[in-house]
Amino acid sequence: MIRFENVGLRYESGPEVLRDVTFTLERGSFHFLTGPSGAGKTSLLRLMFLDHKPSRGLITMFDRPIATLARHELPDIRRQIGVVFQDFRLIAHLTAYENVALPLRARGKSEDSYRADVIELLQWVGMGERLDALPSTLSGGEKQRVAIARAVMGRPRLLIADEPTGNVDAEMGNRLLHLFVELNRLGTSILIATHDRELIASNPAPALVLHKGEVEIHG
Amino acid sequence: MVEVPMTGTVRRSLLARLFVETRSVMPAAGSTGLSLVLVIATMCFLASLTLGAVLAVNHATQSWTRQLSGALTVEILAVEGQDPEMQRDAALTALSKTPGILTAKTLSRDDVAALIQPWLGVDVAREDLPFPQLIDVRLDTSAPPPDLDALAAALEKSAPGVRLDSHRQWLDDINGAANAAQGLSYAILAIITLTTIAIVTFATRAGLLANHEIVELLHLIGARDNFIASEIQRHFLLLGLRGGVLGLALSLLAFGGMSIVMNSSSLLVSMPTIQPWTLTSLLLVPVMAALVSVITARMTVMRGLGRMM
Repeated sequence: MIRFENVGLRYESGPEVLRDVTFTLERGSFHFLTGPSGAGKTSLLRLMFLDHKPSRGLITMFDRPIATLARHELPDIRRQIGVVFQDFRLIAHLTAYENVALPLRARGKSEDSYRADVIELLQWVGMGERLDALPSTLSGGEKQRVAIARAVMGRPRLLIADEPTGNVDAEMGNRLLHLFVELNRLGTSILIATHDRELIASNPAPALVLHKGEVEIHG
Repeated sequence: MVEVPMTGTVRRSLLARLFVETRSVMPAAGSTGLSLVLVIATMCFLASLTLGAVLAVNHATQSWTRQLSGALTVEILAVEGQDPEMQRDAALTALSKTPGILTAKTLSRDDVAALIQPWLGVDVAREDLPFPQLIDVRLDTSAPPPDLDALAAALEKSAPGVRLDSHRQWLDDINGAANAAQGLSYAILAIITLTTIAIVTFATRAGLLANHEIVELLHLIGARDNFIASEIQRHFLLLGLRGGVLGLALSLLAFGGMSIVMNSSSLLVSMPTIQPWTLTSLLLVPVMAALVSVITARMTVMRGLGRMM
């Protein structure tokens, strides 16, 4: 479903931050992405959610080579990818409900068509009582759950989460992991970037280990 | 049954709700939104005031020119051996033969005394003081103007001591001053307009840059460029219109105040009553400000999106 072949990335004329990265994520798979700070995790994630073009190599997303796609075709690919950003990226002046509804609003859907789904999803992540809350009034775990709800709102085929347990305690970390596992059971491919060894140990799954810009697959 | 929430019922300040709230993905009540409204309001206020001042100057100069160019004065000096009444009748006869003259009215001795009084004092109305006779001539402004040189010659020929004052010298001076005032006011209007465009452009761009991460987020969740641009445009259109209307309302209040002050005093320039076309011109100011804001926002956001993958 997703394939990286000899992918390299450098920012402008700087050194190569990713080198010869090659891996495949199958449909419905569950992977961790780990490695020390500065190994290139964020850069790899940026390539995966189409925020940046590789300097070299071939990326195939959902069986379509990205390099051959016209710019106007990329939004359709992005809509199949849900991203939980490390810093959440919730829009501060929108309520939890409005933040979660954003992907559908961006597709031009009317509120009538998605209102019930958004509420149901927020209830699923345990935020049914905080629909009208602004992000500034939410705790780290609550923000994380709203961010997850937003990421899965558009029914993505791939969910990417960047350090999803970085801002929450262990108990909340486990609850979030269960959310990801449940999503994976429903057919969504999951890639979780994390430093959290306990999290990785609690759910044995293959891991892409990045070290100095190169990737190895463990497990 | 899930209770459907009223979204966005979060308390927001009254000021933000009145002037800024746009239900946009862009922050409505944030500092950039309110700042932009206030900047646009201030610049529209200045632009509307300047436009109003230009209209007032135009109105005043047209009024002066019309009053002066629509009137002539025939002066009849006392000449020894001449009967004043015969001089006056001869002048009136010459005037009556000239096309384009609406009325010719001989001023009474009291009227002439009132005209001279500011220079010679209140005791001028003495019987022994030889006043000139004056005929106030009103021209038909809807008809072609009379040949003033020919009229002056005819009047001088009609009787000794009769001469025509066409106010031409005074009119030329007034026209020169009026043209200078008009030119200056148009120059100020041009400067204010360009400044308004520049400030609204910079304020819009700053507002957009301050919220760059929202544009980036929309892009990453799969929003198309046109959706993002239309959301941003709608936001800035509403902000621009609100700021513009606020500025226009303030300037109309200022016009009202100035109108009362200027029309109740003996100033040279009076405020014109606002005509429909004047109001149309003023209404264009907030529309223009909103358009500048929208065009800037669209260009900036499309340029930014073009740099993204």
